Amino acid sequence: MSRRQTLALLAVVGVCIALYLTLYKIGVIGVLSCSIGSCETVNTSKWSTLLGLPIAAWGLGAYVALLLLAMVGSGAREESVSISRLIVALASWSVLFSAWLTYQELFVIRAICIWCVSSALLWVLIFAVSVVDLRAVSRAG
Amino acid sequence: MVSKQRGNSSQRFYVVLALVAVVGAIFIVRAARAPRAIANVTTAPITAAQAEGYLMGNPNAPVQIMEFADFECPACGNFAVITEPDVRNRIVNTGLASYRFFDFPLPMHKNTMAASNAAACAADQGKFWEMHDELFRNQPEWNGEATDDPKKFFLGYVKSLGMNTDTWEKCFDSQAHRSRILANQAEGNRRKIQSTPTFVIGTRLIPGAMSYDVFKAYVDSAAKEAPPVAAKPDSAATSGPTKGATKGATK
Repeated sequence: MSRRQTLALLAVVGVCIALYLTLYKIGVIGVLSCSIGSCETVNTSKWSTLLGLPIAAWGLGAYVALLLLAMVGSGAREESVSISRLIVALASWSVLFSAWLTYQELFVIRAICIWCVSSALLWVLIFAVSVVDLRAVSRAG
Repeated sequence: MVSKQRGNSSQRFYVVLALVAVVGAIFIVRAARAPRAIANVTTAPITAAQAEGYLMGNPNAPVQIMEFADFECPACGNFAVITEPDVRNRIVNTGLASYRFFDFPLPMHKNTMAASNAAACAADQGKFWEMHDELFRNQPEWNGEATDDPKKFFLGYVKSLGMNTDTWEKCFDSQAHRSRILANQAEGNRRKIQSTPTFVIGTRLIPGAMSYDVFKAYVDSAAKEAPPVAAKPDSAATSGPTKGATKGATK
């Protein structure tokens, strides 16, 4: 499996997590499956929405954007530097934003949502793969 | 040869991608379709109180709306904060429908009974709907996962709403309205409510929060149907609303 395909796969996992949390936030899903932590506390806090939209919906948008970039950039266009740069930029921003959200969970809300933490870790992994991808593509170019 | 290998690799990738997507979709669909927690069927005596809910608007309006909700349920909170203001302004205040709130405390929410109690005691002072709004707006700070002592938050709302703190506290501590809350819950159980929020609009029982437009469509549809008082609780439960709740509702 290529690096871009790996990124696409990680994006699909992220889409599932973000969609699950978004559907909970808008009331389609009644109770979150949350064996560790306090998902409800986090997802009903004032930090769970941004500019009128659930944070999870923003995450969903970011994962869908990553999926599109990774799919467009796989196969024959595997060596496109501009796509690699875009993916690194998206992943960097998402890692920083996830870090801020995790800080809010730990030190302000004082509750942890296992799904949110999973998403944050996923972005760290995506960032690592995207950096490897950019370096490999730059070297090849 | 290389191209054939690449083709096989691509095929494998799409298979894995589809598998992950299908597993995720199954998980989400199962979560969305899972029955939500069902309230405890209480064995406590409830004959002393009648399931009257809390009324907002004209009890003789053409359409009767009932809401069964849990103060600690996030979907109920979202509905109360996002959609309900429009429902009040454009449906209840215009006389299209009356609106009754019924407590439906769910067993998994450990502070919800206290919240129902807090709201019932606020109704004594004509501030049910104001307290209802405060409870839903501030759900993140007093819910059962956030605190073991919700009363201190409730007291803050009582003060900010200008209620008599001593009277409210006496009522809250003695759980004076417990039988009323349980009667509301029993009314929900009788109607086989499975999740919160659930609405009865005219003759229709509609589970789940919904947007204003969808809500209005149900009200319009109910307005065309006869008899218009179909959603009213049973005769045993139809005694008039508490004065306080009505007063608070129609401010």
